[in-house]
Amino acid sequence: MSTPDGSVRASFRRAGSALRSTASRVVDRPSEENNLAGILFVVPNVVVFSVFLLGPILYAFVLSFQEWNLFLGTGEPAWTELFGVSLPVANYVDILQPWPWENNWASLRSPSFNLWWFAVRNTVLYTAVVVPVQIVGGFLVALALDGRIRGKKVYRAAYFLPVMLSAAASGVIWRWVLSKNGVLNEFLRPVGLAYGWANSPDTALGALMLIGLWGGIGFNMILYLAGLQNIPDELYEAARIDGADGLNRIRHVTWPNLRNTHFFVTVLAIIGTFQVFGIALAFAEGGPARATTTIVVLIYETAFARSSFGRATAMAFLLFAVVFVFSYYRYRIEQQEEVGY
Amino acid sequence: MPKSNYDYPGYERSGARYWSKTTLMYAGITFGALLWSLPFWWMLSTALSADPTAGGVSLIPQQVTLANFEELFATQPVGRWFFNTLVFAGSVTAFNLVFDSLAGYALAKIEFVGRDELFLLFVATIMVPAMVTLIPVYILLSNLGWVNTYQGLIAPMIANPIGIFLLRQHFRNLPSALGDAAKIDGCNEFQTFYKVYLPLAKPALATLGIYTFVMTWKNFEWPLIIASDKSMYTLPVALFAVRNQYFTEWGLVMAAAAVIVVPVIVVFISAQRYFIRGMTLSGMKG
Repeated sequence: MSTPDGSVRASFRRAGSALRSTASRVVDRPSEENNLAGILFVVPNVVVFSVFLLGPILYAFVLSFQEWNLFLGTGEPAWTELFGVSLPVANYVDILQPWPWENNWASLRSPSFNLWWFAVRNTVLYTAVVVPVQIVGGFLVALALDGRIRGKKVYRAAYFLPVMLSAAASGVIWRWVLSKNGVLNEFLRPVGLAYGWANSPDTALGALMLIGLWGGIGFNMILYLAGLQNIPDELYEAARIDGADGLNRIRHVTWPNLRNTHFFVTVLAIIGTFQVFGIALAFAEGGPARATTTIVVLIYETAFARSSFGRATAMAFLLFAVVFVFSYYRYRIEQQEEVGY
Repeated sequence: MPKSNYDYPGYERSGARYWSKTTLMYAGITFGALLWSLPFWWMLSTALSADPTAGGVSLIPQQVTLANFEELFATQPVGRWFFNTLVFAGSVTAFNLVFDSLAGYALAKIEFVGRDELFLLFVATIMVPAMVTLIPVYILLSNLGWVNTYQGLIAPMIANPIGIFLLRQHFRNLPSALGDAAKIDGCNEFQTFYKVYLPLAKPALATLGIYTFVMTWKNFEWPLIIASDKSMYTLPVALFAVRNQYFTEWGLVMAAAAVIVVPVIVVFISAQRYFIRGMTLSGMKG
């Protein structure tokens, strides 16, 4: 067999690869020795994963069918009648009761009120606004900062810095930015639009969306900047030769070639926004008048303020189901697009 | 330096149209960047003002004073909180580096039974919302008496699928021939890992280390649940508590916020490359 370059170097290469494959057959066969070594290497992680992730997931599933007894410190099956059969699904049945909310802020302050659907409403509104805006915003900022920009690093840092902040810091700082004497009103007062943005139930959820976007756009900018590096320059050149102007190049070259980035950016955004918690808690503890009580804020309160661990884990599993369905749906779209190519 | 569509011959970099477009774009991103940093300026100017709640704080304080910081440090155990956060983030990072490099290496380079299934199991846990596991873990730790302890804060954070994923990926990209050579020379599996592969994984370890440190430093949810005693607060929980205690004294609250934010900015300036790489990798692959 002669190689194209037929040189001594090539034959050395062949010998080397032959030696390597022999060696790997000797060393790397799945032997008992390998099994022992492999298991010893992963054992620390297997232990922490079992104790702090996998075990708890299984236990949480059991717990979601139980009512927590605070005095005994154990769960007891939460029975309820469903279709004439007694089943331990009281938590799920209680949570999913039809929506009794009649646009009445006052009634929502009662702790006995079933808040699940109200929290779902808040979370869905939040997600519906924040996900598209932070994706498009992140894309546009990345586009602007990808080219020949003077001071690119400073600009990127300005947009990215909020991502580094703790949710506690973001929530608390924005509470003051948006309060009556806050800086936003400094600008709005001259136009007569000063308002207690953070203190009114009508605007608090919108304020929360602002906080989410403040961090989200910088986060997505970074992912899109990474995606933009992977588009071959030849594509732009070809488009330019075909007479495409800047906007058309973005539409027909940049946007479709970021398909992979779009995919994980949307999945991450959906997973993240459905679980929005820290900024909501730090901003207004789910208030005012429950306006920023998202699903996870409600789970947190149910578990750690009222010790209803069973009901809280049932809510957490419902949230898990929603997040999973959305991610899976997005994954299916991705698959179909791939076939369509 | 990556090329962009501006770098092409024939793309006019002159003319009125080009300059008006460029000016517009600079104006847009500058406005956005100023808007984005406004909360930081507002925080600093409030923290450095004498009495911000009296109304009319401007973005540049008339009289710069450290009174808010002095009061904060005199009335609150800020040093202790700082120490707690450092212990928390430092330990979690150290454990992660050791455990995940071991597991990442084994999952990439050793053929053993159930390896791929185990990897799938690790990675699948990324999908599960934190709240599903936090409640049972809290119950477990309170039965162990680990609430308000360092081990309670640290232990559950060690299980980190993203770290395993990142390092496995890195070890996979290193040639297997290195390990084969080491074994022919008489190294056992651990020596091969420790002497040959681990030194080559330094960039990945730096990325994972800085990423984990920052993510743990800013973690709010877990310390909030497990550290209810003032002496065990980490900085994010402490800020939340300070806000609840001094709700109207925004000067003091913003001073507390600045104590958290300023170290973050310092870390960001010195190590942003690693943090961004960690975030991009975990975001893309996770």
